[in-house]
Amino acid sequence: MEAKSEIFSQRLIVAVLWNIGLQTLLAILLISIIQVDLIHPISWITAAFSEIFGWKMGLNIVLLGLVSFFQAYIYGNYFMIPLPKYFTRFSIFLNIFSLQNVTFSILYALSGYFTMSLYSSLAKNNFNTLKKKCDYYDGQCLIEQSLFLQFGGMWIGLYYFLNSHVFRPTIPLFSHVYQDKLQQIKLAISNILSTGFKNSAMPVAYYCIFYILWGNKPRAVVSDVYSLYLEDPPLDNILNLCRSGIWIGLWFYTSLFFVSVYTMKTVFNIVLTEPMKFPIESDISLTLHNALAQKSQFNGYLAAQDLRIMSMSDSARRLQIFTLSLPGGHPRNWSNLLEKCLDIIKDFTKEIEYLNGDGKPVDIDTTGQRNFMSFSPKSTLYTNNLRNMAQSPQLLELKDHNKNMVDNTFATTVKEECSTMLHKLCQKPGINYFFGELTDTKLKYLLTQSQPVMWTCEGLAFVVAASLREDKYGVVQNDLPKIMTNLINLKQNLDKLTKPGLIPRKHVLSDAIAIKLRNALISTVKRCIYKIVLTFSKYIHEIPLDPDIQIAIQPFLLCKEA
Amino acid sequence: MSTFHGFPELPGPNDTAFCKINEVYCCGNARYGNITTFTNSTKSHPVINVSRDVHHHRTTDENISMYIEVEDNLLKKITSVLYKQGILEALSVAADPNVNKDNPIIALTASYVLKVANIFTAFRYFLQPHLKDIGPKIVSNYSRARNWGNAPVKCMAWHPHTTKIAVATSDDNVRIYCSEVAFVSTLKCKAQGHVSSLSWRPFSASEIAVGCEQGILIWTVDPNSMFTKPSSSNAVLLKRSGHSPVTDVSWSPNGDLLISCCGADTSMLIWDVAMETAVPLRRVAGGGIVFARWSFDASKVFAATSSIIFRIWDTKCWKPERWCAQGCRVVTACWGPKDLLLFAAKGEPMVYALTNTGLMSGTQTSKAVPVLDVTKVELPSGDLVGGPILDMCWDPTGKYLALMFEESHLIAVFCTTHLMLQLKITPCCFVCGIENEIPTTMAFQQNFNDGACLTIAWTSGRVQHFPIVYADKF
Repeated sequence: MEAKSEIFSQRLIVAVLWNIGLQTLLAILLISIIQVDLIHPISWITAAFSEIFGWKMGLNIVLLGLVSFFQAYIYGNYFMIPLPKYFTRFSIFLNIFSLQNVTFSILYALSGYFTMSLYSSLAKNNFNTLKKKCDYYDGQCLIEQSLFLQFGGMWIGLYYFLNSHVFRPTIPLFSHVYQDKLQQIKLAISNILSTGFKNSAMPVAYYCIFYILWGNKPRAVVSDVYSLYLEDPPLDNILNLCRSGIWIGLWFYTSLFFVSVYTMKTVFNIVLTEPMKFPIESDISLTLHNALAQKSQFNGYLAAQDLRIMSMSDSARRLQIFTLSLPGGHPRNWSNLLEKCLDIIKDFTKEIEYLNGDGKPVDIDTTGQRNFMSFSPKSTLYTNNLRNMAQSPQLLELKDHNKNMVDNTFATTVKEECSTMLHKLCQKPGINYFFGELTDTKLKYLLTQSQPVMWTCEGLAFVVAASLREDKYGVVQNDLPKIMTNLINLKQNLDKLTKPGLIPRKHVLSDAIAIKLRNALISTVKRCIYKIVLTFSKYIHEIPLDPDIQIAIQPFLLCKEA
Repeated sequence: MSTFHGFPELPGPNDTAFCKINEVYCCGNARYGNITTFTNSTKSHPVINVSRDVHHHRTTDENISMYIEVEDNLLKKITSVLYKQGILEALSVAADPNVNKDNPIIALTASYVLKVANIFTAFRYFLQPHLKDIGPKIVSNYSRARNWGNAPVKCMAWHPHTTKIAVATSDDNVRIYCSEVAFVSTLKCKAQGHVSSLSWRPFSASEIAVGCEQGILIWTVDPNSMFTKPSSSNAVLLKRSGHSPVTDVSWSPNGDLLISCCGADTSMLIWDVAMETAVPLRRVAGGGIVFARWSFDASKVFAATSSIIFRIWDTKCWKPERWCAQGCRVVTACWGPKDLLLFAAKGEPMVYALTNTGLMSGTQTSKAVPVLDVTKVELPSGDLVGGPILDMCWDPTGKYLALMFEESHLIAVFCTTHLMLQLKITPCCFVCGIENEIPTTMAFQQNFNDGACLTIAWTSGRVQHFPIVYADKF
């Protein structure tokens, strides 16, 4: 939270303002609907206006503002954390009771309470206070309906929090088509209304059951504290509850609460995911490659998205990439960008490779080193008359030998024994259930972060493809082999994920979204390779590629890669 | 002077046109002639004749009469109609005194319920008149294929990068013909009914989108696979309530987004296919979106509605520019190089061009100008050509424009040159069928290197490749 970017916080503020505006609109609508009086339209309108400009509404707007600021804070905390990095049931269970979650659930319960009382006060019923003057006795009596509603509000807040943040963590959803904000809200409204009213049915039912079973306890406590009597029929009886009709009220207010939080969520999503234009070179503001470097953070997402949009539709900025720096004539813009893009792709490839190897550590430079070993002695080393001892092939072998030497000490043996023991212990049925690694969590965790990787690949591929026509100095073509190698590596590692026999069973995906993400990723990477290969198909043999890579791109050249 | 004045003469009664090579119009005997005597450019092209392949009957309603009628009991009849066609049809069956003879009470109730329902539907149609037609009727109304319901070939699509063509036949199967392999893959599954459009995904060898009544089917056909009938597990059905029947699908030239249109839906859906999510694009007025076309660089999308309104969407911020056609809805449109758009309205023998004149005048205004008048004329041979335009295709290089007419069995091909922001259209040649063949639908091959290759599906089920070869050295 501390290191949240400036852009993110600015957007959060904008989102809060939008949210307050929309929520106020909702409240105004509610007031005018509640006070509807078709026979006396003028009195209806005046009553509605006096209500809207009354002190109550002002107070409510302040309250709404507070609630939505608080929601923004929560949203800010949860938005960019795609999925908690817990891989066993036990750790997931422990995580539910983290301090943050407990605080948030209390805050959400309060927010539910406030929203509920807010709407019920707008609706002008007497369910706002707990006390009333008794009709038959002398003294104060309890209005159980308002108790029911207030507890209901807390429960709904809690329910929503648990449901949408704890048990079903959301991943940031960047829409593939970004329309006008107002247009998006217009399109979303009907959906928000219908899902709000639909989704509120279940929690209300749960709450009613709960209240029927244990409702007498909170009631007893409250009436004891305030020393109140109960003169109306108690609500923890199924008939009385049905007859009082308060459950309809609760359902209505719950729906309003849901509509309000969904509106909030939609507004936040719309404002936060708006594409942003990063400059290619600038001294003051954040440039594209610097933003790309902040990989899994919010800026990284925006930058990757911007890279994709820029590569497809912004020729002016593309030209800026292809220019050379003025003193010196280096393709600085391009190499900065390329470095960051390749970093993202390489890191992701490494992670996938790690999973494919089932946790065995991957030698980072395997491909690079192998290529160096197999190539450098033949082609580049002795072309000149000068012989470089530092690059002699024998030396390379020596280095390699040094690196792979394993020191067989006592400590490592003990360590290994311990780990195998632990591993065996984890295999036991009961323990395995709680402490064993869940099947697809790791891959799922990786895949939920794959969105910027897809955008980066696409952006890179389209910049490269555009370079054939737009790049006057041939800045990009120099790095073509590097890009191809990285894309093909990624593709080959991803291919392994779909081959049933090749991956360990614990990385077989069962989650629908993860499967979709995997397919999206594979399809995107293939499309990128196709884009580059087909664009350069006439010149493909002039690009100095590794034999492995050349073989790998053959199906793409022939349009035979599925 | 008519536009058709400079065209070469039609071939004789027993002859047919095979190709055009360097300004020479090559005709030969329809029965014994062979295109390979003129050019080898289409030698490896797949030979397609659909009529030989279609063995089984369609499952549409038209051929129900072919079967012997079996007398079912009333309940069974009603339930089967309810299951297949919906509640309104079931009610009308129950209310029909010819079918329901024994049970007058049910008939009476059904007829009253039907009357109430009719009031509601009448009110609904009053509000949304474009919903009046249902299902295949909408597709057949808006399809650019002639006689879509009965034509042997409903639509065709060439792959953007290889010599591979997908052909949707009258039995609603999609056949994939490829230049290298002899066998034909047939895509078929239960959800694939009333196929209206096909579109290959750019930068992919395997994915094809099929627009059909239920929604969009995305088939992934492995080009290396030897299966002639890929299982339906290779298809993903994308659908949304209210978005049926799909009348057009088209992939963005970048291969990332898919647009689907439905003549009965006022919004056009933009799909992220892998994630199976769609964003609706909707604006007031215009009725259902019939078809959409991407410009070459994917910066603009043309969307035609079922009324005179059409829109040009800017894909950067997804905002539309609204246009009105003069008389009737836009029936066909195609983008050319440099964001030039040609379109034709229904029932009108005129091609309009939408050009951006901003460069000339300094302002960002664009206007539609009539560029080609194809009023119907009688040729010296007695054939009629011209009249209202049914379909129009522009080859990917923007050099040849093919027109298909509602009331003529000839296809007219024009040469188009785009010089100094001026579009010049000159006659090229006619393509005619053998004997009484009438063209159903047509498409230009996307990767033809020797010029342009127009592929035409005829009513006989024959699919002809008509290459227009030119060498630059001439």
